[in-house]
Amino acid sequence: MEAIAFYLFAVLTVAMFSYTVMSSQALYALSSMAAGMIMISAFFFLLNADFLGVVQIIVYTGAVMALYAFGMMFFDTTRAVKEHNTSKVIVLTLSVLATLLVITIFTMPIAAENISAAFPEPAGVENPKAVGIVLFTKYLVPFEVAAVMLLVAMIAGIVMAGKKMDRSLTKMKEEEIAMMHQEETQKKVTL
Amino acid sequence: MSLEQFTDRNVQQHYFKVDIEEYPQTGWDRFKQVVKRGLNGELFVGLWVVMREMIKFDIHTVQYPKEKLPIGPRYRAVHEMQRLFESGTERCIGCGLCEKICISDCIRMDTRIDENSRKEVTEYTINLGRCIFCGYCAEVCPELAIVHGPRYENTSEQREHFILFEDMLTPIDMAIKGEQKEYPGFGAVTPNEDARVKKTPLAY
Amino acid sequence: MDTAFIIETLVKIVVVLLVFSALAGFGTYFERKVLAFMQRRLGPMHVGPYGLLQIAADGIKLFTKEDIVPSGVVGPIFKIAPVITAATAFMAAAAIPFLPEFTIFGYTVHPIIADVNIGILYILGVMAIGLYGPLLGGMASNNKWSLISAARGAAIFISYEVVTGLALLVPLMIIGSLSLLDFNEYQAANGWMAFAHPMGFISFILFWIAAFAETGRTPFHLVANDHEVIDGFGTEYSGMRWGLFFIGEYANMFFISFVMAIVFLGGFGDGTVMGALGLLLKVAFFFFFFLWTRAAWPDVRPDQLMWLCWKVLMPLAVINVVVTGIVMMF
Repeated sequence: MEAIAFYLFAVLTVAMFSYTVMSSQALYALSSMAAGMIMISAFFFLLNADFLGVVQIIVYTGAVMALYAFGMMFFDTTRAVKEHNTSKVIVLTLSVLATLLVITIFTMPIAAENISAAFPEPAGVENPKAVGIVLFTKYLVPFEVAAVMLLVAMIAGIVMAGKKMDRSLTKMKEEEIAMMHQEETQKKVTL
Repeated sequence: MSLEQFTDRNVQQHYFKVDIEEYPQTGWDRFKQVVKRGLNGELFVGLWVVMREMIKFDIHTVQYPKEKLPIGPRYRAVHEMQRLFESGTERCIGCGLCEKICISDCIRMDTRIDENSRKEVTEYTINLGRCIFCGYCAEVCPELAIVHGPRYENTSEQREHFILFEDMLTPIDMAIKGEQKEYPGFGAVTPNEDARVKKTPLAY
Repeated sequence: MDTAFIIETLVKIVVVLLVFSALAGFGTYFERKVLAFMQRRLGPMHVGPYGLLQIAADGIKLFTKEDIVPSGVVGPIFKIAPVITAATAFMAAAAIPFLPEFTIFGYTVHPIIADVNIGILYILGVMAIGLYGPLLGGMASNNKWSLISAARGAAIFISYEVVTGLALLVPLMIIGSLSLLDFNEYQAANGWMAFAHPMGFISFILFWIAAFAETGRTPFHLVANDHEVIDGFGTEYSGMRWGLFFIGEYANMFFISFVMAIVFLGGFGDGTVMGALGLLLKVAFFFFFFLWTRAAWPDVRPDQLMWLCWKVLMPLAVINVVVTGIVMMF
């Protein structure tokens, strides 16, 4: 039963993500990627990691992919994108590297035969609880560092986006707008 | 509604000004405004108002084909042709004023001099597809022959629906029985006409 | 996994699907009637007694109407978007206990399709996927109003999911479980979450506000705001595809009402008949409130909506969580 489910979702995941890469239609790529993210969460459910599975759905499908979609709204998503591969060398190198990676992944179990989990799931503890305990004992420092990093990124984003937020083009007069543009061009020249 | 009430169009002018608050200038003002508006329960006033109406169940819907609103006596719907009370003959003398004044050119009439050397209307049609129901024909008619009746439901299979003189005319048996009512509506003399006459407010 | 369990689950799935599809239809009827009464109108009156058969008439119309796929749209995505909305709405129902367990013909029935131990998170996750219906539908429609609506939808969903999550965190911390059945048991023993703890009450209000944004109902009805973006993502849809969006929206309203009633207002309590009736009454009240606000309140602007989320509700929710943590520690 589990094997069937695993192979089914494995095939589906690979199919979805390869379609993301192959498709020349931006909207198809977006949708198949979102679907692929959901398919990945199936593996978490198969491994009885319900909590992580749902978090995978909420974070990747619900938030990250929606932000991608935001970015895509600046293009005309109903038209196919025309790609032109200029350099054959790059294509060749990348495909060789990808092949190597796949081979490495498949041969990895041979090299890693005698590795056992450092923190096996304690019996009788519910899933979210276990995640919480591990997160706030063993992995506290990386967790907090990651949090600080995200905070820095957030503040930087706000600062960069909010530079001219106090100026409103609708309230400014024509001359003021012209002045602003002039200042900007001068800045670029001096730089 | 009585006619006097209906013709009194002098709408009383009770204007009052709505209080408009000062627009908030600073951030602190804006914050105060938000707090005031958020906490003084206007949202709940709105909720209460609609709930009250629901509980009162004072429904104002008129279920049209079953119920009809009363229409004013001066309502201008499809025309009617009146007869004389005494003899029952048609009031129309074929003067042609209605045809002349009709601003949408929808009235067409033909007349001839009959054997008694009276003018006789041989053909009289109103193109209802063109008629804008302005009421000029009823107003201009010296004999009060053409009037606007209260029948406002007309459907026809084509836009240019003509009505003939015979369709508009009061049936002769009704006229003989005296069932035809004198028309009080548009074009008729209003009862308090003298009182309503005013001086023309023009300087020249 | 025995056969009885599989059959029971299948029956429950079919029952939930049928009941809530029908309820979505009745929901439209109630909405029209309630709105009409609040505006001193009568609402639908002509089809059947008191217009009751209007639902059937609407259903026939939606099912038999021509399904138009306009030229210029991205066909497959355009076609699948309404299915996503309806499917995710009903998938969310899997973890909701609709009634207390009861015995029928000597067989005990648990009216919950899957009692997963992360129930509430699962519902949040599935609702997060529900965003893709409006989003993909709007982006594939090749229509600027649809696109604006898709952008608004994405912004609103992402923002208000934060508030929903933080608001739910408080009862989660107090109860220490993610299963909706545990929520119910805890509240049966300790009183309703919304009234037993002050923090619970705040998070209840926050979740309630966010629920309006998540279902796209009137004060926050910007995704398909008629006077600005026509029907938003549904502009290019016709017939049953549009109907699926509609069913999804109404089913979502019912399910989020259930979630609110179970998480914050005690659910079905001790599991007696009175408790079950109480749960249904609470759900009915929440559903009625969705209609009530639609009659009473105006829509906010998109920027006001974002302002409300990020500058008012989210700080409140965060403070609420922190205070709960401090209170629980001591």
